[in-house]
Amino acid sequence: MQYISFVIGQLVRNAKHGWTAQIMTLFTIMLSVLIFSFFLLIYTNMQKASSRLGNELRLIVYLEDAVPVNFRTEFQKKITDFEEVEDIIFVSQEDAFGRLKKQLGKDNDVLDGLDASFLPYSVEIYPNKNLKSLARIKAFSDYLGGLPGATKVQYGQEWIERFGYFISLLRIIVILSGALLILTSVFMVSYTIRLTLESRQEELEILRFLGATDSYIRGPVIIEGFLLGLLGTISGLAALLFLYQWVKIRFSGPGFMNLFEFSFLPGSTLLIIFTMSLLLCTSGSMISIRKYLKL
Amino acid sequence: MNDTHPSSPLIDIVKVSKVYPPNIMALDNISLTINRGEMLFLTGASGAGKSTLLKMLCFLEYPTKGLIEQDGKDVSRLSAINLQFMRQQIGVAYQDFKLLPKHTVYQNIALAMEVRYENPVKIKKRVMALLNDLALSDKIHTPTNKLSRGEQQRVCLARACANKPALLLADEPTGNLDADSTAKVMKLLAKLHEAGTTLLIATHDEKIYQNTGHRIINIANGKLQESQS
Repeated sequence: MQYISFVIGQLVRNAKHGWTAQIMTLFTIMLSVLIFSFFLLIYTNMQKASSRLGNELRLIVYLEDAVPVNFRTEFQKKITDFEEVEDIIFVSQEDAFGRLKKQLGKDNDVLDGLDASFLPYSVEIYPNKNLKSLARIKAFSDYLGGLPGATKVQYGQEWIERFGYFISLLRIIVILSGALLILTSVFMVSYTIRLTLESRQEELEILRFLGATDSYIRGPVIIEGFLLGLLGTISGLAALLFLYQWVKIRFSGPGFMNLFEFSFLPGSTLLIIFTMSLLLCTSGSMISIRKYLKL
Repeated sequence: MNDTHPSSPLIDIVKVSKVYPPNIMALDNISLTINRGEMLFLTGASGAGKSTLLKMLCFLEYPTKGLIEQDGKDVSRLSAINLQFMRQQIGVAYQDFKLLPKHTVYQNIALAMEVRYENPVKIKKRVMALLNDLALSDKIHTPTNKLSRGEQQRVCLARACANKPALLLADEPTGNLDADSTAKVMKLLAKLHEAGTTLLIATHDEKIYQNTGHRIINIANGKLQESQS
């Protein structure tokens, strides 16, 4: 009980003496948590969108000629030898013509007088859901392009490639902002606490002469780092929630946001960010106090 | 510290020398035994080595040569935890006071008890009693940098006495005091001594040790001379 009252007393005294540095530290931790968790939020949502796109991935191989029915099994085997697939559909010129008509809807009269022969034969390949890597998709596409009779392979290359690069870029940003979070949490907390300790050096020396134990000296300092981390992380995550709500409201309705379901970070991820941030801030204060325990 | 027989040695100083760089001999091969419950005066001119000896007994300095045992333990080999525990058992009234200037009189005295996690009610009671004994009750909430040197000295002594320590080391405890305050301080020290505290008082002030019947050790050029018993 006495220890708790001592710790509270010390915290209040430190807050009075070094409130500017503490507010700056709080603000920095908040910003770091916000930046990191914001990019993580975008990244996880993009990942989700990417898997959804992956689920809808379809490669179309255009052929010079129709694959005779008795060769279809062999053709299918050639495809599945390279990559497992969910479905392979052989599309005849007539089927393609029928689809085009359907797509044109009311305007399908433009096809009047034409027959299906101007459309190519094709094979639609629906790969397995685990085919998400851009490199693997490209390799599969190249392989399909080399099959006998294949003239062209289409799978929305440009869009998928750009999306893939965007996700890679986001991953790098998440890693960098994570590093920023680590650096700011550890160094800012450690710096602020060192400032407090420098101003209390005389007091720490006297406490040592009076026989204060390490835990007596260390306790308030570690709790200070912990509290800075706690408040900074809560503020950062609260700011993220606010930003998320704002984005949802601001960009709701038809548009980019409707391409995928924009959702907040799951509880487990928030808990990991929270725990990591607290650990980092507490470590920052432990690093600072080490020197002063050697008095 | 262990409770053993009152006349058993509390401190054993065996052939101790202390040399400061470059080659200043502060203590030269001294040996001294201080028994439990004893009151002993350490006299000598400025720079004779009194403060060095006191600093070694409260672990602020360590001997260059020789052995100091407190309660049977070699002080130079104490672990950090034992050192902290031993420091809690010793009250020290430093010559330079070592008070926290922005803290109040109450906070400075209470600090010695707080580091031992004493009960706040007990701390308050003890601090009030000490302030009363040393005529400082009216200064309880005054920051120590607003006090006169004599008052600061009394606060420093009150902090040293706060835990009713097994050993009290006082470096010139009456150096800045008038006759009235000196009498109060000596009364407080006598009360502690009666309660069983071992006291080692370094002083220039002949009046406080003359005709007391306590052992007086004179120190000159780093060497000890027992002058009275």
